[in-house]
Amino acid sequence: MTVTDTSKHWVGHKQELIQAGRKIVKVGKHEIGVFYVDGDFYAWLNYCPHFAAPVCEGEICGTRLPSRVYEYRFGLDGQILRCPWHGWEFDLKTGKHLADENTKLKQVPVEVENEDVFVIFKSRA
Amino acid sequence: MAEVKQENRPQLIDTDVHNTFPNREALLPYLPKVWHKEWLEVGYNISTYFSQVGKNRLDARTPDGGHPGSDPHFLLEHHIEKYNIDYGILTHSTPSLSIAALFDPDYADALASAHNDYLVDKWLSVSPKFKGSILINSNNPEMAAKEIDRMASHPGMVQVIMASTSRMPYGQRFYHPIYEAAERHGLPVVLHPGSEGSALFGAPTPSGFPTRYLEYHNILPINFMAQVNSLICEGVFEKFPHLVVVAMEGGIGWAPHLMWRMDKNYKALRDTVPWLKELPSEYIKRHIRFTTQPLEEPSHPQHLTSIIEMAGLEDNIMFSSDYPHWDFDHPELALNRFPKELRHKIKVENALKLYKKLA
Repeated sequence: MTVTDTSKHWVGHKQELIQAGRKIVKVGKHEIGVFYVDGDFYAWLNYCPHFAAPVCEGEICGTRLPSRVYEYRFGLDGQILRCPWHGWEFDLKTGKHLADENTKLKQVPVEVENEDVFVIFKSRA
Repeated sequence: MAEVKQENRPQLIDTDVHNTFPNREALLPYLPKVWHKEWLEVGYNISTYFSQVGKNRLDARTPDGGHPGSDPHFLLEHHIEKYNIDYGILTHSTPSLSIAALFDPDYADALASAHNDYLVDKWLSVSPKFKGSILINSNNPEMAAKEIDRMASHPGMVQVIMASTSRMPYGQRFYHPIYEAAERHGLPVVLHPGSEGSALFGAPTPSGFPTRYLEYHNILPINFMAQVNSLICEGVFEKFPHLVVVAMEGGIGWAPHLMWRMDKNYKALRDTVPWLKELPSEYIKRHIRFTTQPLEEPSHPQHLTSIIEMAGLEDNIMFSSDYPHWDFDHPELALNRFPKELRHKIKVENALKLYKKLA
């Protein structure tokens, strides 16, 4: 059994992340996607719960909101992460799959200290 | 539901019994004169595959040698009473169901009305065991809706019927007036096969015409899959939340496959049908009904039960015999392969729940 520890990993400078909107960092064997959405940072493991695709590399976009038949309402612009393999849509603020809210991305805590952004993740040595 | 003594409750409902008339002349009193010549000279425009065994049971000819299904009194004796059927839902003849394939929609509308008036006059008046289907020309939805309005109040008319095939997929908005009218009157809409490949309709498969009747008959279910798929994806059941569609004589075994495939695709492509509020399979369970004949006959009969259980369709399947067609299913022998509880649902309970006028 490898030793695990809860540790803080530097992701990048705050302004850089705000500009880019997304940064994927490697922590041990895992990749974590950090996103800047509507004034807050959110971090998700880079595995789609469907078939383990690198979900964080997907398109950041909006979607068609629930509507009446033959009506189209565009919304959540910049808040949807669309998996690059099968197109599953995830809400970047909640991690929930839009078609099935029991399917979620795995969240990673984010800390912002002054001008730096960190993720808190138990990495294996 | 009020408690009803078991012996008073219906025990067997046959949802697919075909009625016709002895000859074309018999329909003339119900058809405006302007269409008589076309009716007598052309009739329907249905493509027909040759079958070595014919399309009807050889023993179903009427005592005077007439066409099977053309004599209500003989049909009562030969089928309804023989098998202790409480209600037989009349579904017109296979050629009648092809009227929407006719090139002239006005002629087809007139035929629909004539068939309905004939059904009321010559069949529903004979026995309360007979229930009827309102035949419509789906190729002219505004007039089809008017025909539903005209016939729906008849206590013996329990549903609307149209061919399982069409000029374009049935979910599309062109057809919505039909569903609006059916829902308003609380009547299910039945899709029934037999016209695939006729005149205005598309070929029986997207790759064209099968060569022989066997091959054509094998593959009829793909069209049902196309129609159910379309009805759900176009949001017909969101727009008409009380509507039920009966996929009659189109098989059952394909249901889980379509449900799983639709649900999988919905998870990826939900945003292209934002009006759907739940998994497509849920709409199938709530809004689609299936009938048994021609029953799939796997070597291990329990496999069909397993498929029904997989799909969660125990409350969606109703018995049908398809009398007097060649591929008729015997009520008892066809159904005794199902476990008791499911068998009872198929024989009577599911139909009673759907057809409010039978309750």
